[in-house]
Formats: sequence, structure tokens, C-alpha cells
Amino acid sequence: MRLVKIIGGGLRALFGKQRVERDLDEELRDYVASAVEHKMRAGMGREEAAREARMEMGSMEAVKEEVREVGWETSIESFLQDVRYGLRMLGKNPSFTSVAVLALALGIGANTAMFSVIEAVLLRPLPYRNADDIVNVASTWNRNGTLTSYASSPPDFFDWRDQNRSFSSMFAYRIGEFALTGQGEAKRVRAVMATAGMFSTLQAEPLLGREFASEENRTGANHVVILSYSLWQAAFGGTADAIGKTIQLDSEPYTIIGVMPADFRFPLPGSDAYMPIGFDNKVMTQRGAHYLAVLGRLKSGVTLAQANDDLLAIMTQLRKLYPDKDGKWGVRAQLWSTALVGEIRPALLVLLGAVALVALIACANISNLLLARATVRHRELAMRRALGAGRLRLVRQMLTEGLQLAVLAAGASLLLAHWALVSIVRFGPTDIPRLASVGLDGPVLAFTMSVSLACAVLFGLIPALRSSALDAADLVRTSISPSRESGRLRGALLVGELALSMMLLAGAGLLVRSFMGLRSLSPGFDPGGLLTVSISVPDAHYKNSLAVQNYWEEAVAQLRGLPGVTSVAAVTPLPLSGDDFSSSFRVEGRSVPEKDEPSAELRFATPNYFRTMTIPLRKGRTFEDSDRLGAARVLLISETAARMFFPGSDAIGQKIKFGASGGYEKNEGEIVGVVGDVHDFGVDAPVAPTFYVPLAQAGMDGATLVIRTKGVPAALGQPARKLVQGLDRDVLVGEPVPMERLVSGSLGQRRFYMMLLGGFAGLALVLAAVGLYGVISYSVAQRRQEMGIRIALGASGGQVASMVMGQALRLAGLGLAMGLVLAMMLKSVLKGFLVGVSTTDPATLAVTALVLLIVAVLASYVPARRAARVDPMVALRFE
Amino acid sequence: MPMGQKTGGVVQGTLDMLILKTLELEPIHGYGVGLRIEQISKGVFQVNAGSLFPALRRLERQGWIEGEWQATENNRRAKYYMLTDAGRKKLRSEAREWQTQSAAIARILEATSGEV
Repeated sequence: MRLVKIIGGGLRALFGKQRVERDLDEELRDYVASAVEHKMRAGMGREEAAREARMEMGSMEAVKEEVREVGWETSIESFLQDVRYGLRMLGKNPSFTSVAVLALALGIGANTAMFSVIEAVLLRPLPYRNADDIVNVASTWNRNGTLTSYASSPPDFFDWRDQNRSFSSMFAYRIGEFALTGQGEAKRVRAVMATAGMFSTLQAEPLLGREFASEENRTGANHVVILSYSLWQAAFGGTADAIGKTIQLDSEPYTIIGVMPADFRFPLPGSDAYMPIGFDNKVMTQRGAHYLAVLGRLKSGVTLAQANDDLLAIMTQLRKLYPDKDGKWGVRAQLWSTALVGEIRPALLVLLGAVALVALIACANISNLLLARATVRHRELAMRRALGAGRLRLVRQMLTEGLQLAVLAAGASLLLAHWALVSIVRFGPTDIPRLASVGLDGPVLAFTMSVSLACAVLFGLIPALRSSALDAADLVRTSISPSRESGRLRGALLVGELALSMMLLAGAGLLVRSFMGLRSLSPGFDPGGLLTVSISVPDAHYKNSLAVQNYWEEAVAQLRGLPGVTSVAAVTPLPLSGDDFSSSFRVEGRSVPEKDEPSAELRFATPNYFRTMTIPLRKGRTFEDSDRLGAARVLLISETAARMFFPGSDAIGQKIKFGASGGYEKNEGEIVGVVGDVHDFGVDAPVAPTFYVPLAQAGMDGATLVIRTKGVPAALGQPARKLVQGLDRDVLVGEPVPMERLVSGSLGQRRFYMMLLGGFAGLALVLAAVGLYGVISYSVAQRRQEMGIRIALGASGGQVASMVMGQALRLAGLGLAMGLVLAMMLKSVLKGFLVGVSTTDPATLAVTALVLLIVAVLASYVPARRAARVDPMVALRFE
Repeated sequence: MPMGQKTGGVVQGTLDMLILKTLELEPIHGYGVGLRIEQISKGVFQVNAGSLFPALRRLERQGWIEGEWQATENNRRAKYYMLTDAGRKKLRSEAREWQTQSAAIARILEATSGEV
């Protein structure tokens, strides 16, 4: 009942507002009249009684305001009033409004975009049931004190899986590529080859058909396949009778036993088929063959630390049992979500910190604009205060205005963020998991809202508190000159802005320098004019190495005939492709225990490879056409390998035997030449010692054609592809990729981080420039009278201008100095991202400071000129 | 300067109770309420408009008093307030509470060291 009355009273007051106001007005007048009557009865004269009554009453408006504030409806009403009033104020100052909204939108938009990336890559849960329990288990190797994760070997995996007490299930997998043939042009299929525990670990079941069983993890029994939903749709039109049919993968028959659901993606971003990995009888002897990725699901209640202890105990046993193979290996379990983003997480977090600074700068900017305006609105606010508005009421009104700016800016920022995300998806690196799935979804919108609110409070509070401190006495003062304190506050905010901008600029500058340095590094060959096309030859067609060799020779010869082509070769694995092939080896004549055998990278190449790539021959000879099957086996060695394995002696003539454990098993050869080093794993990665083997003597069924052309490599792509495909329809031909793209792709993440930080620093610079311009032109406007007097007294325009510039440059100088100190503190943050540049690189800091100084001069030049042109007459007549 | 907006000498929170009590005697208009309180308290409590009218509005909203426009003895229109049933109940519970508290406070103030 009472609630109804309270609400009813409020609603009446809201909607029957005029009547309620009239009543109150009448009631108060009656009060005064009654008081006068009462006093007159007590013997006062009418005049005196009326005066006394008025004195006792005080301001009638203030009383009314107090009465109005009793009901809940007043806060809504005054909020609406504030909103209306605020919109009117914003509309009246379109230049202020647009500058403020734009600055804020840039700040919030950058934050929104950055948070979208963080959300998609780091925060969004992995798309599996109870994904927080899935753990990545990796072999580790202690390399100079830091543990590095590696793939694991089958026997280690089996021992972990069977002996642990922490995991409810565990499985191992590797990724392979197959040529799907027999259905028109050969198609490349990315397949997961896994042990049977995959389904229980990922808690996923096939949509149709069945899972594979552990009996099928044997060579010979493993020719069954589960299709991904999309491959099922593409190859079988999504018909249920696909189950039981046979498809040809690398020319071998596989029976389809199931189809996974449409939303199943593993590993991210997804693959086309899932099949049991086949192990043969000798698998338990391959403890040194590290090629499996391992995932496990924690039992409920088991912590990651417990699982690690458990695995470590098992590994300690294995080290004792197999000192030669497992002696130096360790094991580490990490949450899968953590393992996936290993080195990406710190980079993204640094960027998030940077973009938060941009928002801070934007807030300082708007705070400054509001402070300037508050001084102009000083009279209005003092008037309202005198008419009975409480201090809280004024603070509320100012905050509401700030909120309106923030809401407008939030809307605009979503547009900006959308554009930013579209370009991130298009141009961002491909090796950041789930980056392609960024979008403005619920959590991002919530983030944008909170950032906007936080900004509104942040930039609105100082001006609100300052202007609400005015009282009626301020109204009487005729001068509207702002207090010195206000000027100092604005100056301090500006210096802070400049300092933060300087820091961001310095950080971005360092990344740019580091990146330029990396860009100018040669990968060890000339990537310009090179096109690469990967080829996979189905072994069913080419039963022996000779047949494969003939295919390669034919392909190379045909491609040579294309217009513009100057040289063609084949190699595997292709440098910078991310693939690698390494093997342990021993040098004939040196006795080394098997476990201490060195290992090196292996690359298989045709004779023309070195000429095509422009890898220089340092010593001896390269491969020749006569280095074929049946001829003496020969090898080339990279400079680094020669230096590493044959220090002080001649590598040429040495005989090498490869791989006791895995790798390029039981092959051998004599070194006939030394060639230049190649950064096979990215120009920013160190060179690895490498052996080259003639492709003709290895009989590889997959390799990449490397074509050098005088024209544009990309233009050669389709003709080359068609030509190779024409040789044999069942050969799997990959998409042609210019080598330049591989080189820059290997720097993709670095470029991405550099572009983002550079963008943020650019924003910061623009905001700081706007801030400086605002502060200086405002102070010029304020000191017009003073300038006029100076000019009237004989100061030249130039003197006045240089006085203004001096003020701007003093602030800028202070900001620069503070920024330099801040930039020095970046050391620990940026260390991991820089190559070949010191974190306190003086050249970078000097250039940064210079850029900021130039911007400061430009930003203050316009107001300085305005000051110089003040007409003394106008200035003196002012007011 | 306007008189402060504090309740002139009335213990914070008791003004509502005093108004309810005044209205229990008879319906009366705003000025009358203030006058009554001042008279009955022999001038100890002075209630100014700045605290009286917000209190009346508050009590009205709570449903404890009701206002009605009537003609005064001097033929002006004035808003007379009267106690509702809920207001009567509220007054009784407030008064009881007050008496308990003031008795307790009085005992504490009169306590001598021997009593403890």
C-alpha cells in the first residue's frame, strides 16, 4: 500500500507537475502571509513584519528545491533536465563537441579494437566442452637455462598415458597433408592423425558413424577416416550414405567411418579429416623420434601442479630406464589455452597497456577542453548556484554532460573499431590463433560501454568538482579571468599528455627500427622474382624413385619453357615455409656415442637450386645432373655447419652417415661443397647448420618448385600451376606463393605489433597536438587584453608571437623531459620485442623528441600568429 | 544569508515525529505546524521553512499525512495537513521508541559510580 502511495505521489508529481508546483508555490506564499500576520499581531508594523518573515524564510527557490528533492522522481527529472540542457550546450558549441567526440572516439575505438583482439585470441574459451581441463603435454629440452617445448615421441607418450594418475584421458596426434584423388582435380586435405583418446579428451563425438578405436592405431589397420563436416558437404553433398564409402588419400583407400559435427574444429582453426595414426611393431624402439603433440584432460579435482608433479615423476623413471634416449628430456604440462598463445600473450598485453594510455591521453584532452569551457561558463554556473542549485546538483549536471560526450563517442568508436578489425583480419598475421574470428560481440560491447563510462567520469570529474566550488560571491566578481590554479591544472594535464605520447612514440620508434633492421637482413638469397609451387606426387603412380625423379625433371624442363622464366629448381622442405627436416648424423672416422651424435637440418634440392635461389657457392662444387640415383652419394654443407662441425679443417671430402634414431635413416654421402647460409626459419631466426642432399638421390615424393622469373612472380602463378597439373591430374599442386610473401610472412607478427603500436603512438601524437593547440589558443583568447596592451605599448607582433610560442615550448619541453624518463622505463617491457636495437637507442629517442617538438611548434604556431595580430583597439574595448 | 537549512535546534530525525504529534491534536497548515512546535516547546525548537516543507512533503509521500486545501479564518486558501491512520500508527511506534531511548539516555546520564 505504502509503496503504491510513494510511487503514485512520484508519478503525480512527474506528470501533474504544474499543479504540484502551483500548490507548493501557493503554500509557501500562504506561509509567508501567515508569518506576517502573526508578527503584526505581536505588534510589529507591516513593513517590519514582512521583512522579518522574508528573512526567516530565506530564498523561496531554495526551499522549493529542497522540497522537490524529497521525491524519487526528482532525480529522474533533473537527470532528464541535465540531458536536455547538456544536449543544448553540445549543440551550441559544435566545434567543441566535434573535437571532443572525435578525440574520445579515437581513444575508445582503439581500445575497442585492441580488446576485440585480446578477447578473440586470449579470453574466449576454446570451443570444446570443459576446455579448461584440457592440458598440453610437451617434451622439454633445457637450452641454456630456458625450457623449450618440443614434440614428444610415441614411447614417451604411451608411458605418460598409461602410468599417470592425473588425467582421465590423453591422446597424441600429428598433422599431415594428403592428396584427395579420384574426384576430379586432386585436392589437398589437411588431416589429423591421432590416437583413439582424441574423442574422450576433447569430449566430442561424431555426428554420424563412429569414433575410431585403439585397435585401429596400428599400421595396416588404420585406413579409416572421419570427415569434417565441411569436407563431407563438399565431397559427398552431405548425404548419409557416405559412411562406408572409400576415398583415395595419397592414392590409398580409406573407408569413411564417420562425420564430425559442423562446429567441431581441431586443431584450431580446423582440419578436413581425422584418422587413426598408425604405429608399427617397432614403435616402442623410437623413443628418440619426437613428432607427436600430446593433449590430456585433467581428472576433476586435479590441479595443473599435481599433474606436472605426476608427469615429472614418470619422466624421472624414464630417464633412468633410457638414459641414452630420454636422458636429457623433461616434460611440461600447460593449460592448452595458455600453451596456444605462449609468446603472443605478453605482446598483446603490452599493446593493451599502450592503447589504455591512448585513452588516458584522450581523457586528459577532454578534461582540458571542459576546464577551458568551465571557465567560460563560470557566470552561468555561479548564477545557478546562487539560485539554489546544490553543489551535488551541479556536479551531477557536469557529469551528465560528460556522459553524453562519452555516449556519442562510444557510438562513433564502434564504427572506427569495426574498420580497424576488418583490416586486422585482412592484413594481420595468420599465425595468431583465432585472430581471424575477431568481432564486435557482446563482451566487446560491454567493454566499450565500461571504458566510455570510466572515461566520462575520468575527464568529467575534475572540471565538475572545480566548477561546482563556485559560490554566489563569484557572481559578483565582474572579471572572468580564470584562477591561476586552473591554468596550472591545464598545463599539468597537457604535460602529462605529451609525456605519455613521447613514451608511446619512443616505443613505436624502437619497434620500427628493430623491424627495419630485420627487413634489411638478407634471408641468404634473393627472394625477388621467385615463385614457389608445392607439389606432391602420389606414390601409387610412381612406384620407384626413378619414376619420381623423371617426374621432377619433366616438370622442371616444362616450366623452363614459360616466358620470362630464367631458372627452375625443386627443393624440400622449402625455406621459410615452417617445415623442417632434421637428422642426427656421424662423421666417418670419429667415434661418438650414439646419444652424443650432432644433428643438423636437411634439405633436398635439384642441381639448379643454388643458382635459382642465388645461394652462393663458397667452396668445392654444387650438385650436377650426374649426381643421380646409382651414382656416388654426395652432400653440400652450409657455412655455419662447416664451421660448427669441422672447425679448422676442410669439410670437403668428409663422409657423413645419417640418423641412427629417426631422421634421414641410414643414408650417407660425401661432402663436395660448401654453400652460403640461409635463414630457413625466418629472417629474424638464427641460421641452422644445414646439409643439402640431391633430390635425385633421395626420391622424395613431395617438393616445392622454385621458379625465378624476370617478370612479376605472382603473374606466373596460374600458368605454372596449369602446366604442372597438366602433367598428371593426380598430382597435388599447391597455391603458387611468391617468395617475397614468405619472407615478409615470417615477420608477420612483428609487423602486426609494430603497426598496432605505431598506430596507437600516432593517435597519441594527434591527441597531444590537439591538446596543445587547445591550451595555447585558449590562453591566447584569455590574454587578448594583455596582448593588446603590450602591442599598444609598442611590442611588435613578433615579440608577442614568440612569447606565446615560448609558453608552448616550455610545456612541450617539460612533457618531453618527462616522456624521456618514461621511455627509459620501457626497457623491461620492450626487451623481448627488439632485435638489434637497444631499448635506450639514442637515435630513436632523439628522432622521437624531434618529431614531438616539431608537432608542438606547428600546434602552437597558429594561436601565436593570432596573438601577434591582436588589434590593440579591439582588445582594449573588450568588456 | 538565508537561515541555515539545518533543523533549528531539533534533534535530527525527530522533526517528523514532532510534526505527526502536532497534527494529531488537530489538522493545521504549514505555518501553524511550525508555530505550534515553537509554542509548545516554549521556543526551544524553531523550525524554519527550509526544513519544515521538505519534511511535510516527505510525510505526505509516505502516506502518513494528507493535505487538503481549506479556507483559513482570514479567508485565504491554505493547505491543511491531517494525520492518516498509518500516520497515527507511525506516531505511536515512534513515540514509544523515543520514550524508551530517552529514558535509557536519562538513566545513563544520571548514573553515579556507585551504580555500576
